[in-house]
Amino acid sequence: MQIPIILTAIIGILMIIEFFFPMPTAMTSLNVTLRSFVTIISAAALILGTLVLTIYHGKKVGTKSSEWYYSIIYIAAFVITAGLGVINVRDTTFLWIYNNMTSPIGAALYSLTAFYITSAAYRVLRARNWNSAVLLVCALIVLLMLIPVGAILFPPVVPIGTWIRSIPSGAGFRGMIIGTSLGIMGLGVRVFTGRQKEHLGIREERRKE
Amino acid sequence: MAIIVEGRIFGLIALLVITGSIVYYMQKAYSGKIPKLRRLQAVDVIDEILGRCVEMGRPAYYLMDTVSMDTPSILAPTVAAFQILAYTARRAAHLGSKFFVPVTQGLAYTIASEVVDEAYKAENKQDELKLEETVMYLPDGADRMYIINHMWSDEMAGAFFLGSWYHKAVIFTENAARVGAMMLGGTDTTHNIPFLVAICDYSLIGEELYALGAYLSEDPTVSASLAGQDIGKYIAALLIILGSILITIGMDIKGLLSM
Repeated sequence: MQIPIILTAIIGILMIIEFFFPMPTAMTSLNVTLRSFVTIISAAALILGTLVLTIYHGKKVGTKSSEWYYSIIYIAAFVITAGLGVINVRDTTFLWIYNNMTSPIGAALYSLTAFYITSAAYRVLRARNWNSAVLLVCALIVLLMLIPVGAILFPPVVPIGTWIRSIPSGAGFRGMIIGTSLGIMGLGVRVFTGRQKEHLGIREERRKE
Repeated sequence: MAIIVEGRIFGLIALLVITGSIVYYMQKAYSGKIPKLRRLQAVDVIDEILGRCVEMGRPAYYLMDTVSMDTPSILAPTVAAFQILAYTARRAAHLGSKFFVPVTQGLAYTIASEVVDEAYKAENKQDELKLEETVMYLPDGADRMYIINHMWSDEMAGAFFLGSWYHKAVIFTENAARVGAMMLGGTDTTHNIPFLVAICDYSLIGEELYALGAYLSEDPTVSASLAGQDIGKYIAALLIILGSILITIGMDIKGLLSM
């Protein structure tokens, strides 16, 4: 139970030391190797995740549970894509699938963000009270500043918008960054000292055993 | 050869002072002197959301967005989200709420499975847990449509948006709001904090995400570390005031800071 915590602390402290102090080449290359372990472990976990997902969909098809036909699509897509990739990752059919199916689907889904931002903005930018009214006015000024026609129609929005972004907004963001950095330091200390280990799936009762 | 890498002396001093004060407060709590901490509203909100889900017979979603365990800036909020997940899953098991945790990264998936499994075991409810349906691995990209679709078909009653959030913050929270879910959002990615604050019913801003994990811990020495972090805030406030004065009187402090 203690091994993951000790390993986390040792490796974490090594990385901190490397950041602040000039290290011999052997030490630096050790740290580089340790960092590459993360990639290897992540890749192994990816295989596990894919396996679990395939078993899940296999079971759905087997038991003909709700929407089982979608699982057939997943299994077929997985077998074809993974099969072609394993045979030859530079194969034109494999690349065609990636370039003409995976990539555009991803881009299309990403583009949904624009529509959701619009409806989210409508939800947020309603002057329900003084706070939201200030938010609404500031958002309108910054939006007008950012669109080309805004600066032509209302020239004062440029200096006001720039001031809003760099002074009150900038100050707020810096405050958040300072707070977040302190939070990360606190988390680091708690994890390195082994006081907090819920993220390892170790619960309190076990800790006391 | 310099003993310390150039430009990092101030960073090292700050790190030593702040970590030193965190350890000091933890030690102090160990000897019985526990500092008084403000109760975070989110602690009650977790129960409120799960209770609502139980009453309505609908599931609660625990979403963490980007959980890339090999990116340092994402790792910290992800670990914090796992710590909150440990508590939330346990409360969900205790209250009997349906719970769904989709994860888009293999390593994070194994950790999330372990965390949820342990939470149900802690409540002696492992018989009620269908792990492969509760914690699900969804390839990044495909997760968006899957989650949105299931938000509507499941008519989820509550959602937690905790961790490192990027563009999906808008997509998921907006859909959750339309479904009528009660939401708790929290992230440290500054450009997405406004979305979570604006759309979610309750929110954790920046460091509160890290503080909540410590606050929920049953170990008082862990929550005491939050008092140590406050020393860092006092130092930051002092340096901001000092820096403002020095710049106002025309002193160049850039050279001092790049030591």
